[in-house]
Amino acid sequence: MEPLLAARLQMALTLGFHIIFACFGMGLPILLLVAEGRYLKTGDPEWKALARRWSKAFAVLFAVGAVSGTVLSFELGLLWPRFMGTFGPVIGLPFSLEAIAFFVEAIFAGIYLYGWDRLSPRAHWLSGFPIAIAGLASAVFVVTANAWMNCPQGFTLRGGKVIAAEPVSAMLNPASGPQVVHMVLAAGLVCGFGVASIYAAARLRGNDSPRVRRAMMLGLAMGALCAPLQAVSGDWAARTVARTQPVKFAALEGQFKTEAGAPLRIGGLPDPETETTRYAIEIPGGLSWLAHGDAGKVVEGLDRVSRADRPPVVVVHLAFQLMIGAGLFLLAIAFWTGGSLIVRRKIPATRPFLWLVVLAGPLAVIGLEAGWIVTEVGRQPWIVQGVMRTREAVTDAPGIGWAFAAALFIYATLTTGTLVALRHLARK
Amino acid sequence: MEPDLLLLGVMLTGVTLYALLGGADFGGGVWEFNTALRAPEKERALIYRAIGPVWEANHVWLIFVLVGLFAGFPSAFAAICRALWVPLLLALTGIVFRGVGFAFRSYAADSVREKALWGAVFAFASTAAPFFLGAAAGAILHGRLDVTSDGGFEGDYLTGWVSSLSVFSAFFGVGICAYLAAAFMTREARLAGDAPLIKVWRLRAMASGLWMGVLSALGIGLIAADVPHLWEGFKTRAWPLIAGSAVAGCFSLWALWRSRFTGAALGAAATVASVVVGAGVALYPDLVPPAISIESARAPREVLWALVACVIAGVGVLTPSMILLFRLFKGKKPEDA
Repeated sequence: MEPLLAARLQMALTLGFHIIFACFGMGLPILLLVAEGRYLKTGDPEWKALARRWSKAFAVLFAVGAVSGTVLSFELGLLWPRFMGTFGPVIGLPFSLEAIAFFVEAIFAGIYLYGWDRLSPRAHWLSGFPIAIAGLASAVFVVTANAWMNCPQGFTLRGGKVIAAEPVSAMLNPASGPQVVHMVLAAGLVCGFGVASIYAAARLRGNDSPRVRRAMMLGLAMGALCAPLQAVSGDWAARTVARTQPVKFAALEGQFKTEAGAPLRIGGLPDPETETTRYAIEIPGGLSWLAHGDAGKVVEGLDRVSRADRPPVVVVHLAFQLMIGAGLFLLAIAFWTGGSLIVRRKIPATRPFLWLVVLAGPLAVIGLEAGWIVTEVGRQPWIVQGVMRTREAVTDAPGIGWAFAAALFIYATLTTGTLVALRHLARK
Repeated sequence: MEPDLLLLGVMLTGVTLYALLGGADFGGGVWEFNTALRAPEKERALIYRAIGPVWEANHVWLIFVLVGLFAGFPSAFAAICRALWVPLLLALTGIVFRGVGFAFRSYAADSVREKALWGAVFAFASTAAPFFLGAAAGAILHGRLDVTSDGGFEGDYLTGWVSSLSVFSAFFGVGICAYLAAAFMTREARLAGDAPLIKVWRLRAMASGLWMGVLSALGIGLIAADVPHLWEGFKTRAWPLIAGSAVAGCFSLWALWRSRFTGAALGAAATVASVVVGAGVALYPDLVPPAISIESARAPREVLWALVACVIAGVGVLTPSMILLFRLFKGKKPEDA
């Protein structure tokens, strides 16, 4: 296997794995706080039982998330030494802040998970707040580093070396805002619908205990609150990409030609050879309107750059459509839930609804991964947009293919182990 | 004060705390590995209980140092990532399986067989991780990596890291973990009020302490004979720390002999801390000798200051949190449940 491809696949595998755990690491503490908070308020032991059970699941997910995150911080250097050797200082600040946030998270995770019998109920509940806050902060910081790769700024290069840098300006690049919000909401969707999905499945199997219903309700509430916000943030993110990364934008919309009044394509299969996107439902002027607020404006196409500078448009466009599709599905569930709450004052419990909620968990994860593919593959062939190519950054070390094979095996083991662990916890 | 030295001071503190705290966590697994996984369940339970609340926090020191290195001294980081490709990948595998082995065994194992499986994974990985991290540290200290000043590497990716000091340091790294764990566990056993376990750990701490004393003497001989630049650093700068380490080591053995376990734990910590800090001081002003020094690798000043500011803010948040964690779980309160 070509070393560059092996390195990219390994990064994709390990990041794609970690990102799921990171989402639960962000979302679960919030659910835990709500459940334990209800227990403190009502004294209902069912709420406490739920919180204790979730705290065990959190322990497993947090441990796997912590080690898979460690792998990533090493891999940045092991796989992309030229990238980190050059730009480490520019993005070092958000990573340092992230390290501190992770520290806080790990310290209070220890206190929270092992402190059930050592702290007063109220102190124990309070010890969960730093976990939730630091979890969110970690995501914010680390995503700004990724945003910088999309919109690099705040540094001066000379002879391949960074001779001056403004770390704060690098952090506050134009992509940071929309990417951070989009990621945090995605975490809410994945965790919320993930939890709801598990308990909806339990209800379909006939377990309709109050605990199961409450657990589903909390997950559903988190997911349903995030879904409409995510639609808004997605629009913000897309308009930012249109402005700052027009080539990526063209790839995700399958827009080959630079044209005025560009259509919005729903579905469709781009063909890089003929430079057309076929089989799509086209809404005339829709893309121009979405990108620039005016159906007549010009949208830049992939033809603005040579073929060597274009991302793999098929992958990017399909991943983008998949993400939108998953998002719309989750949005529909959110509206159904909200509508039922307003009209009938209760969360729907019909079998078709429960089935949709069961599907929502995996679909949220699919949407998450597809979105990550959009932003990462959409930036190719650059590792730092317009500044350094991925090919230049990759290590010369031999045996990357072997390392990737080993990583496949290791991550398969981790996945199996985690699933077995969670199933065991669910049964206990 | 220059920001690069401030940052390096913080990083050396981070390395030391990782060696002490993370090392002791690894050491618990090393002892399980050494007893061929046949330790009685009660002994194992105490190890797991000691590690449980703190290992994740102790692990973060490694990330902290790693981030400081790539943000503050990027070419050193790039060079290390290239030259130590093999040992770092292996150490990383160890770190991953130590963590999940522990978590799966603690929270998730259904049957006795599953528990034994993940326990074995934990024990083996806990030994592998310090072994390869030690090898990596030894390879840097030895100063024979074919790195270039811009962070490149011209040596052999597969074998370039192997040297007398890297092999020695691999075993030394595992030894440090075992010694620290044993010394700390005497105190845990005392707090748990378990007389047979106190006896076991006291013996282990003394045996591993003596053994590490012998190994340290051999190591100094090896450095004198084979690693001239480090030997120079020891002779001119780091010798008080090495002497201090010897004194602290003797003190911890005496405290073990007299069954003063808090003293023994502190003595063992001081012994190891002096060695780690001593090695760092002896390496100064190099980072990855021969080609990369602090001066050639450091990031622009404004970056270094930003990192220092970030660390200061971090210390303000982390110190009280850390104190709370350790008081809760390592204080003198009798164990409940």
